[in-house]
Amino acid sequence: MDAIETTCVYCGCGCGLYLHVENNRIIAVTPSMKPPASGRLCAKGWLLHGFVNHPERLREPLIRRGDRHVQTSWSEALSFIASSFAEIKRDYGPDALAVLTSAKATNEENYLLMKLCRAALGSNNIDNVARLCHAPTLFALGSSLGSGSMTNPIESLLYSDVIMITGSNTTEQHPAVALHIMEARRNGARIIVMDPRRTQMAEIADLHLQMRPGTDIALLNAILNIVIQEGMIDEEFIRSRTEGFDDIRDRLAEYTPEVVERICDVPAELIRDAAVMYGGAEAAAIVYAMGITQHAHGTDNVQAIVNLALATGNLGRDGSGIYPLRGHQNVQGACDMGALPDYYTGYQRVSEFREKFEDAWNVELPVSRGRSAIEIMSSAGSDIRGLYISGENPALSYPDSSRIREALESLDLLVVSDIFPTETTRMADVILPVASFAEKYGTVTSTERKVQLIRKAIDPPGSALPEWVVAARLLEIFGVSSDYNSSADVMREIAALTPSYGGISHERLERGGIHWPCPTQEHPGTPVLYRDGFLRGRAVFRHVDQRSLDDERFTLIIGRSQYHFHTGSMTRRVSILERELPEAFVDMNPKDAAALGIRNGTGLILESERGTIRARARLSDGVREGILFMPFHFRESPANLLTKWQLDQFSKIPALKMVSVSIRREDA
Amino acid sequence: MMFFLEKKDLPELLRRAGAFFEIIAPVPINGEPQLVSWKGGDLALSSPNPLMPPTRLFLPPRETLFAYLQESGLYTFEVPEVGNRLIVGVRPCDLQALSMLDRIMLSDPADELYSKRRRSTAIIALNCTEPSDSCFCAQMGAGPEADEGFDLLLTDLGERYLLETGSPAGIMLANLSEELLERGDDAEKRRLMRESRERIMSARPWLSQDRMRSRLREIDWRSLSKECISCGGCSFVCPTCHCFTIADLGLPDGERIRCADSCILSGFHRMASGANPKARPEERLLSWYMEKLEHMLIRTGMPGCVGCGRCDRVCFSGLHRTDIFR
Repeated sequence: MDAIETTCVYCGCGCGLYLHVENNRIIAVTPSMKPPASGRLCAKGWLLHGFVNHPERLREPLIRRGDRHVQTSWSEALSFIASSFAEIKRDYGPDALAVLTSAKATNEENYLLMKLCRAALGSNNIDNVARLCHAPTLFALGSSLGSGSMTNPIESLLYSDVIMITGSNTTEQHPAVALHIMEARRNGARIIVMDPRRTQMAEIADLHLQMRPGTDIALLNAILNIVIQEGMIDEEFIRSRTEGFDDIRDRLAEYTPEVVERICDVPAELIRDAAVMYGGAEAAAIVYAMGITQHAHGTDNVQAIVNLALATGNLGRDGSGIYPLRGHQNVQGACDMGALPDYYTGYQRVSEFREKFEDAWNVELPVSRGRSAIEIMSSAGSDIRGLYISGENPALSYPDSSRIREALESLDLLVVSDIFPTETTRMADVILPVASFAEKYGTVTSTERKVQLIRKAIDPPGSALPEWVVAARLLEIFGVSSDYNSSADVMREIAALTPSYGGISHERLERGGIHWPCPTQEHPGTPVLYRDGFLRGRAVFRHVDQRSLDDERFTLIIGRSQYHFHTGSMTRRVSILERELPEAFVDMNPKDAAALGIRNGTGLILESERGTIRARARLSDGVREGILFMPFHFRESPANLLTKWQLDQFSKIPALKMVSVSIRREDA
Repeated sequence: MMFFLEKKDLPELLRRAGAFFEIIAPVPINGEPQLVSWKGGDLALSSPNPLMPPTRLFLPPRETLFAYLQESGLYTFEVPEVGNRLIVGVRPCDLQALSMLDRIMLSDPADELYSKRRRSTAIIALNCTEPSDSCFCAQMGAGPEADEGFDLLLTDLGERYLLETGSPAGIMLANLSEELLERGDDAEKRRLMRESRERIMSARPWLSQDRMRSRLREIDWRSLSKECISCGGCSFVCPTCHCFTIADLGLPDGERIRCADSCILSGFHRMASGANPKARPEERLLSWYMEKLEHMLIRTGMPGCVGCGRCDRVCFSGLHRTDIFR
């Protein structure tokens, strides 16, 4: 019997937990008493022992022979990958190669894959799943405040008087954050929820603004307009620490509660109450997630939040702040490690810092502009010929699945590393079996910029390897320096090249997580950003306008459920979680259902301009009339067959959150 | 038999027992007490009771019942081996939970793996002289003092332990370390246990099993459960919870696993038709408490709550506090 403290693999909360191990198997999980979990876990966390030792784990490298995958050795798989990539590079140039890294991989692994892409393959075509979740956050928070990340730690919510939650089903998707919000509420904080769905958080909130989906900007602008009219802005803060306020002040005037009531279908009085509540708070926080970002106007949505927080001076203090909630264990870290087309580690721009990395790695680095994830997919088979996907399942998670499948099929070489066979590994030319979070050492960075250790609890199955070892061996084949004996060695290189991680080492993290920026060994880390000013000098307001919406009969909102994670490759193999939710559902208002003769459990056909799927109706008055909700976990009802490649102009995030659909009964 | 054992000599006593048993004890791991194989280092006997109850060593949250291997159409089965274990530092509340589980798991037909593990495990219990704030074992009649169900029993007297034997195996274990032991008496122990009991009782003088049972139907479970996220944590750490589900993983080869299930989860109650008599969290919470306070009592003659306070320690929304019964 052993117990190993590590960090949960699912969402970005970064809950600490102990894996209880017997005979190289995880037999139980208990929470760590340290923040942010502080002795609590969600059902997925408690049941983490369910998938790691599953017999379907990938155990040996597989290579395509005709329409079958056959077992091969690591050395053959890796030399095949290297020679195939080299061939493509020779025939089409380095820009024909691309890497998509994993938000489930460690910082060290993301760093080495980034190094592989840039230094060995010679391409800036590198991206990660953040492109599909918080690219707008990176852009809007980055350009306005200086850093595209959560401004305050989760615990800081305990000091908030008012917490505004928008586009986040917090209890189900970020339970540790919900835990703190609930505790703040018990101590007197007031809660405003803005969401088209009546979530559990909406049930316990003081105010629930159940707006039409896609009208966030109108609503946030109206709130800011009222705050200005009521004289609740922080003029001193605006004057001393921001710029551009006057430009937006006048343009907000048209967003009166009465006008916005018609756009959002939320009573003007309720909008006023929310504005006065938020504006009147000593310390107010705004919490948001995919409901804000996954739109073709995602960056504008985030900017509307930034404007509101800036105008009320709700930044740089305990209890205030902007909380973009990250959906993966290490999606923050994947971005921090430069798994982005335009940045090296720590958001050092390729255009500015190329020489620094050329010197460090002793290679010439590419200058050409890198492509983002969806751009990589859209040029697959033409400009992009070879792709390495680490631990992601775009065949199910990316928009417009049929197009993604075509894209993946048209590649000359597709390499996929994962812990389980997925819809994406099925299309791969080479499948690499890698170690799960419980089978390797490394660091991950949670939603609150907290770098924490994951520790090895058991051995990987078969000959599966930690991905940092895979990446290091590929680097070696390409002749790039890769002299690492452990992932701690990799972190030393990261720290040397990355100012915000400068003081971070595995040795220090043994004593607990550290919030970046942490520039030196002596630096305690920075839980709250912007206490003494903004990284870019003055924070910037930018006016954003509400876009017009399609006026369709049904708008389908797509998200996650409480009991599954993403494409279900892990949670659908946990028997209890699969029992809780064995198939997709479509939440539908009972009035809509009655009009169409649909009952609880009726099979529905959903059709968009991109595709058609089937799922059962689940009647719920938690969704408004005309609104449907379904999760995207299920390959049997793949919601992303319906979504489109409609990109946000700034951040290139696709509009994954909602799509217009028509529905009919299956038997009709 | 009663002996005094100098605290510094406990590791030596365990080392000698280690010749016959794998020693499982609470050990500090990154600052938190965890039940693990003891390899001679620090013990965490004066820390709060570990979150994972020792009852889970007999009925692990995930275990392989057997592996199946297919060859030319014939199946062979591999059943996991069970080794001898000595669990150190089991608290009276958990000991009582174990004896309640015995009445369920060992009643005919006895659960094979549970009974194998039970037969090959020895227990050194530890009386609670320093109860935690969340403890209410005294009100539940389960502590802070153990009176049966152990092979050896330790009571922390400050500089030394009082060591009592509770079974022939316990006497043999004590004999292995005979020269480390000195004949003792329980005067000091009785004083400490009286104090500990008073401390627990005075923290919640109003609490009793009868009180809890009579309040069950008065509590507004609906508003109480508004913040319940149905994580199942309360049931995963409860030492008397024993519901499980079974699944066959893998074809043609694979394993039949058993894992801890939870009646706090909605799907636990869902019937084949899709109908669910306990679809709402408040119904499941009430049913959990009914099971603990009434049904288990009827089935086993012992209450299903031993007052260990673990459900409160892990509750997401802070609703498993004894205050609700006030």
